[in-house]
Amino acid sequence: MTTSAINLISGLGRWSRVAAVVVAFAAAALLGSRLTAAEHAEPVKGAAKTEAKAEHHAEAAHAGHDHAAGECANCGHDEPSELKKFGYAYLTAYMFCLSFCLGALFLVILNHLFDAQWMLPIRRFLEHLACQLCPTMLILWIPIGALAKHIFPWMSPEMQAHPDHALLAKFPLFTPTAFYVISGLIFVVWYVVAHGLREASLAQDKDGAAIHTRTMRRYAAAGIFCFAFSLTGAAIFWMKALSHQFFSTMYGVVYFAGSVWVTLITTYWLLLYFRNRGDLKDVTRQITFHDCGVLFFAFTVFYAYVHFSQYFLIWNAAVPEETFWYVAREKGSWWWVGQLIIFGHFWFPFLMLLPIHRKLNIGFMSTMAGWAWVCHYMDLQFNIGPVLYPDGLHLGIYDVLSLGGLLAILIFRFNSAFNAHPPYPQRDPRVAEAMGVYVEPASTNKAAH
Amino acid sequence: MNAYGLMAVFETPADAIHAAEQVRDAGYSKWDVHTPFPVHGMDAAMGLPNSKVGWFTFLGGVTGYTTGMTMIWWMNAYDYKIVIGGKPMFSPFFSFPVSYELTILLASFGSLIGMFLLNRLPRLHHPLLKNRKFCAGATHDKFILVIETADPKFNDQETRKLLVSAGSKHIEMVED
Repeated sequence: MTTSAINLISGLGRWSRVAAVVVAFAAAALLGSRLTAAEHAEPVKGAAKTEAKAEHHAEAAHAGHDHAAGECANCGHDEPSELKKFGYAYLTAYMFCLSFCLGALFLVILNHLFDAQWMLPIRRFLEHLACQLCPTMLILWIPIGALAKHIFPWMSPEMQAHPDHALLAKFPLFTPTAFYVISGLIFVVWYVVAHGLREASLAQDKDGAAIHTRTMRRYAAAGIFCFAFSLTGAAIFWMKALSHQFFSTMYGVVYFAGSVWVTLITTYWLLLYFRNRGDLKDVTRQITFHDCGVLFFAFTVFYAYVHFSQYFLIWNAAVPEETFWYVAREKGSWWWVGQLIIFGHFWFPFLMLLPIHRKLNIGFMSTMAGWAWVCHYMDLQFNIGPVLYPDGLHLGIYDVLSLGGLLAILIFRFNSAFNAHPPYPQRDPRVAEAMGVYVEPASTNKAAH
Repeated sequence: MNAYGLMAVFETPADAIHAAEQVRDAGYSKWDVHTPFPVHGMDAAMGLPNSKVGWFTFLGGVTGYTTGMTMIWWMNAYDYKIVIGGKPMFSPFFSFPVSYELTILLASFGSLIGMFLLNRLPRLHHPLLKNRKFCAGATHDKFILVIETADPKFNDQETRKLLVSAGSKHIEMVED
């Protein structure tokens, strides 16, 4: 009792430090956005046009695209409506929560594709997290579906009636019907893959039959393709479509890398939490934390690699259809959010995690979990926010309420699923190996000597 | 002929690991285990700290990155300024791919050189290589633990007793 109380207090201490960083950052961002709002009082249309000219490209050649007009339809000249503000805050919070579920689904698939032994302790809670994709995340998606006309500029009645060149080129994919049909299909895919994997895993708990392992492998082999397409679809339709003129084949991969990155450090923290609570005490070893930390480190590099690739190709080609997206994100306090992504999302964790022993430093890694949450949320703000607030980062009550509400629902649903089932795969063929126990193969018959 | 060390042969990886644990706990410092394939958990059983090769890798990487950046800046923006594709004279973006490749190249050189230095390689001769039992076993199906006579704790009787109690069926003194 005493030790758990001490754990709680020390945990609180750590988390309050993280919370202080979050609050300080939010305050700085709000202050920054106020200052830059005053600075960039000129109409957005003018600003966007100046950039287009600065690209040294013949304006006439791209007259058909007219990005300035496209961007302006998104943001408007005056204060956005409350519904719009809520929609953007909710979308950001939703994509943040979705990251964990998608990351979890990927890790479960990975476990079966590589027939990994070390992932056994974390597999069950990741299965539960992945199963939140459908129905929990589907139900939570309904507000986005309902507010789509307000959130996505291309879906507004005037844009649908008079589509610009970029939108026409993307018909029939970018029509409201396609948007809802494809979104629905994405959830069906997630439901089938995530629940298929968990059902076989839970069935194996009861009878221990090897057939379930084969079933899970089949789900994983087909699931990895479905996962790649559905995640890309989700990232394009729900996030990239905010600026429908933009092109990037890396976009889905960037969201994927960020999602798995934040999921891995959260997995590390959850593993620690469930071990301390006693659920995973028997299967968790030091090597489990080490391997989790190593994979987190790998994804730190992978995220930087793919995001840099996207940026570098756009920078190098300097085509206005693509550059406008990053130009908008260098305005006002968005510049500083971009710096946070470079230095906070990549350089800081990269340099700190280089020494092998740092991955076993529980205190450091728990703090890193909080930091990764901040960075990933800011990454999503960077993707979503500038469409509505060209002058800089805005964090308001809607952001706090959406994020708090969605996380509360997700955690509640995850927790009740976790508590309803055994905490780790009980009769997986690799359970002894994961526990660090060597079992002689029955065929060699060496147990006698 | 002076004695190089005491060699103990074990039949299974598990026996070798347990023997290594005992030798580690007895406080020996100049000893090694030779196995035909990597045995998981052996470094922990031998009490080996984390390898220092990582530092060579890191230094190689830092050198590569700074060399790449400085080289591109020197050539394109300082020594012989030339405008290409309307891009700035120097930018960390276009310099990054080349600097990144140099980082990897010099980091791997650093690893290789660090490994050679720390292992005191290259080396033309080792006393163990003259021993037929060692050469046939350590490369095939035996797990061999060798404690050098140069070890401060080495004592012919005591060390032999320790290796026998660890379960070795064959113990012999290797001559240099």
